[in-house]
Amino acid sequence: MSEPQLETVLAQCTEAVLEQMFFVRALNGPLPAPDSVLIVEVPFEGDPCGRLALRVTAPAARSIAADFLGEEECVLSEQQVGEVMCELANIICGSVLSRVESDTTFRLGSSRLTSDSEVFHSENAALHSVALDNGAILIAFDVERPVCPLGG
Amino acid sequence: MTGCLEASNGIEALQILGKEWVDAILSDINMPGMDGEEFLRQLKTDELLRAIPVVIISTDSTDHRIERMLALGARGYVTKPFRPETLRETLERTLGVPCE
Repeated sequence: MSEPQLETVLAQCTEAVLEQMFFVRALNGPLPAPDSVLIVEVPFEGDPCGRLALRVTAPAARSIAADFLGEEECVLSEQQVGEVMCELANIICGSVLSRVESDTTFRLGSSRLTSDSEVFHSENAALHSVALDNGAILIAFDVERPVCPLGG
Repeated sequence: MTGCLEASNGIEALQILGKEWVDAILSDINMPGMDGEEFLRQLKTDELLRAIPVVIISTDSTDHRIERMLALGARGYVTKPFRPETLRETLERTLGVPCE
């Protein structure tokens, strides 16, 4: 799959996940300046293998987490917000992989919060950004080759 | 349905099922410790637990994965992302009763 095709799949999957499971609609406006952010990385194995990274502004992360959990933003802990962002990254990654993987079964690794991700700096990564009411999300999907063997 | 018990992986789920009876199980596939596939395999070897209907909820929408989980005994398969009504319909079909 070429990089433009991959970016199209990444955009479609991201918007479907945000709308259907997190009740968030992307806006067409400009992206806000980077503020305090949360970064999540998800490794995956299969054919292909690689990593997905998600960077979301802190206010947007809290708002998305509140909508997903059906709670008020003010009662959420930092841990809950982080866990929801890990779930968001996990669902987007699995959704993309279901459309780009070969017949090999893929395996998602554990999503984890991190202070930065090399995926955002990879020149081969497909990127997609989403403007939201109160922030933005940037997603990078980097495919590595050759095929990784699935771990036991 | 009147309640929901949570487990973070297959091992925890089997521990809970050793003490509590449930009407249905919703299970992801990608989980640490024991994944959904192994959980389903072990559940189906247990004389008491094998009758509990299992619905898989996963981001993996590939045909071969869905076929494999259904072949292992899953009664339903919902792919993420999904709308809430999709899960409700699948549960109602699986249980044969309306879910409120």
